[in-house]
Amino acid sequence: MKRVFLLIGKDFKRKWKNPVVIIGFLLIPILFTFIFGFIFGSSQENVLPTIKVLSVDLDKSLVSRLYLSSLTQGELKDMIHLQAVPSEDEARSLLDKGKASALIIIPSKFGEKVWSGDPAEITLIKNPSEQFLPQIAEEITETTSLVFSALLQIFSEEISQIKALSEQIDASDQIISDLSIMIKDRIEGIEKYVFPPVVSIKQVTREKEVEIEDAGYSIHSYILPAISIMFILFICNIVFEDLLREKEKGTLLRMTISPLRISEFIWSKILTSALIGIFCTLFLIGLGSILFSIDWGRPGILLIIILSLNILIAGFIAFLYTFIRTERQAGALMSSVIVVMALLGGSMTPISNFPPFVQKISRFTVNYWGLEAFKKNIIGDSVPQIWVIVFGMLIMGLLLSIASSFLLKNKLKKGLYG
Amino acid sequence: MLKISHLSKSFGKVQAVDDVSLEVKEGEIFGFLGPNGAGKTTTISMIAGLLTPDSGTIQIDSMDIRNSPQEIRGIMGVVPQDMAFYEELTAKENLRFWGQLQGMSGKELDQKIHYYLDKIGLKGRENEPLKKYSGGMKRRINLIIGLIHSPRLLLLDEPTIGIDVQTKINILDLIREASTGGTTAVYTTHNLVEAEELCDRIAIMDKGKILALGTLNELIQIVGEKDIALIQGEFSADQAQQIVTKEKGIDVITMKDGYLAISLDASKKVPGLMESFFNSGISINDISLKQPNLESVFLKLTGKELRE
Repeated sequence: MKRVFLLIGKDFKRKWKNPVVIIGFLLIPILFTFIFGFIFGSSQENVLPTIKVLSVDLDKSLVSRLYLSSLTQGELKDMIHLQAVPSEDEARSLLDKGKASALIIIPSKFGEKVWSGDPAEITLIKNPSEQFLPQIAEEITETTSLVFSALLQIFSEEISQIKALSEQIDASDQIISDLSIMIKDRIEGIEKYVFPPVVSIKQVTREKEVEIEDAGYSIHSYILPAISIMFILFICNIVFEDLLREKEKGTLLRMTISPLRISEFIWSKILTSALIGIFCTLFLIGLGSILFSIDWGRPGILLIIILSLNILIAGFIAFLYTFIRTERQAGALMSSVIVVMALLGGSMTPISNFPPFVQKISRFTVNYWGLEAFKKNIIGDSVPQIWVIVFGMLIMGLLLSIASSFLLKNKLKKGLYG
Repeated sequence: MLKISHLSKSFGKVQAVDDVSLEVKEGEIFGFLGPNGAGKTTTISMIAGLLTPDSGTIQIDSMDIRNSPQEIRGIMGVVPQDMAFYEELTAKENLRFWGQLQGMSGKELDQKIHYYLDKIGLKGRENEPLKKYSGGMKRRINLIIGLIHSPRLLLLDEPTIGIDVQTKINILDLIREASTGGTTAVYTTHNLVEAEELCDRIAIMDKGKILALGTLNELIQIVGEKDIALIQGEFSADQAQQIVTKEKGIDVITMKDGYLAISLDASKKVPGLMESFFNSGISINDISLKQPNLESVFLKLTGKELRE
C-alpha cells in the first residue's frame, strides 16, 4: 500500500506541474453554465425565466378552472405565465411558432370524471425546440396534478358542497381563485394534524414545495453538474492515458523490475483518477456555489455522492482501457465514448427529451446516475432514494475497478519488453 | 550470481532463444553481443522476469526466478534503452521517486542522490525538470535511476545509444564503478568497441543461440593471432575460393560475392595474394588489414558484420 501511495503522490506531482489540460477541462463547465444561465435566465438572480404555458380548457367546468388556477397560485405565479387559448388548433399553432414552452389541454368531461372518481387525463404538449423550460413545466404540472388529486380525495366532502354551490351560481374567476387559495391556506393550517396518516401524499407535496420555494433546481444546478460529469470523465481519462504512456515510455517496465507489483500500479492509477476527480468535482461544486449560488443540498450526502460518482467514473474509465492498446486508440475511442455517453446520459440535454427506449439506454451511463444523485440531493429527495443510487454507483465502480485490475494486469504485461 | 540453464523461448515459429546456458559471477560485467533479433533482449527480459521461458531455469543469487520473483526484483536494477523517467519532474524528484520505490528513504537516499548528481556533473541543475536536459544528460539520469539503490544485479539494455563520446565515457565509468562495488552487470549491445572496453566476458549471440562465450582474449583465439584482411572487389565467391585455396597459410573467415575476409600473416601473404587476383583478371576495389578483434570473431562466427 505504501508503494501505491508513492505512485499516487508521484502522479499528483506530475499533474500539478503540468496542469494546463485539467484547468482547461475545469473551466469549460463553468463557462457553459455561464452561457446557459445567460441564455435561459437572469444570471444575477439565478432563477428560472417565467415559463410561458398555453392552456386550452375544453371542459370549462369548475374543476378545470380550479386546476388551471392552481397552476398560477403562490410562488408558481412567478414561474408560470398561463395564457388561455380558445381552441386546440390555435394553441398548437402558437406552440409551433415557439410562442410558448408547453401547452396544457383539458379535455371535455374532465370535471365529470373527477367528480365521479374516474381517472381523468390532462394532455401536456412540450415545445420540442426548447430544452429545459418544457421539462420544468412538465414537472410543475405533474406536481400540481398530484396535489390536486390528493386534495380532491381528502376534501371530497367539502368539494361536493362546492360543486352543489357551483351548480347554483355562476362562479367567477375571482371566486375560483379565492377558493383555491382558501383550500391551499387551509391545507397548510391543518397539515400537521391531518396529513401524518397519509404519508405518501404529504411527502409528494412537501418535496415539490421545497423545489419550488428554493428555486433550488435552477438552470445552473442542472447545467453545472451535467457538464461537469462529462469533463470529469475527460480528466480521469487523462490519468488513464498515463497507463499506456508509462508502458510506451518504459517507466512501467522499470517499475516492474522493482518490488512493485503491476496490480499496485493499476490500482494507483484508479485511485489517482478517483482522487483527482473528487478534487475537481469539489472545485466545480464550490465554484458553482460561489458564482451561481447553487444550493447543492445536504453537504454530507453531497460528499458521499461525489465520492461514489468518482469511484464509478474511475472504474468505468479503467474498464474501457481494458479494450485499448495504444495511446492513439485511446485518443480516438475515449473521446467518442465520453461524448456519446454525455449525450445519452443527460449531460447535454435532459433525457426526458429522448424517446422512451433511449431513456432506458441512458440508465447505462455514468452521467445519468451522477445527475440523478445530484438532482435528488438538490431537490431534497428522501435519503433512502439517494442511498440506492450512491450504493449502486459505489458497488458498480468497485466491481469495474476490480475487473479492470485483473484484465489490465495481463494486458500491460504483454509486450512490455521488446 | 546469475545462472542460466538450457533457456529457450519461442514466439510462434520463431525460436528467439535456443538452449542458452551460462553463468555470471558476482561483480562481473557480462555482455551479450549480437545483431538485432539475435535474442539478447528476449534473454534479458526472461532474466528480469518479464517473460516466462518455455523451458530452462534462471537462478539469481541461488533463487529461482519463478519461485521468488519478488525477492529477486528487490535486488535488481534496470537501465532500459528508452528514457524511462518522468520528464515533468526534476532530476532530484525522479531519483527520489525511483529510490523510494526500491525501498530507500531518509538520509541514505539523500546522500545517494547527491553523490550521483555530483558524479554525473549535474549538481546545480538537480531542480530543473528533465525535459530541459540535453539527450546526454538524460541518458546519465537514466543510468543513475538504475543504480541508485545499489542493485546486486544490474540489467543494461544498450544504454549508450545515440550519445556523445563524453557521456559514453561517463556512463561506462559509472558501470565499472558499480561493478567494483559488487554489482553484477549484464549488458546488451551491438557496439563491438564498447563490449571490448567494458565487458569482462562476452557472449556472442545470433539467431537465439550463444555462438561463443569468454573473455576478449579467449574469443580472439577463435580467429587465431594472425592478421585479418578484408578484401572487396569484382569477384564471385567461387573465384575467390579458387585463388585462396591455392595459397597456403590463409584461413577463410567469411566469403561471398565481392567480399572476402581472411586470416593470414599479412606481411608475407598479401603481395602474393594480390598478384593472384590480378593474374586472374580480377580488380580489387579495397583491402584493409586489421589486428584480430571482436569484430573479426563476430565475422568468423556469424559470417556477417555486426552492422549488417
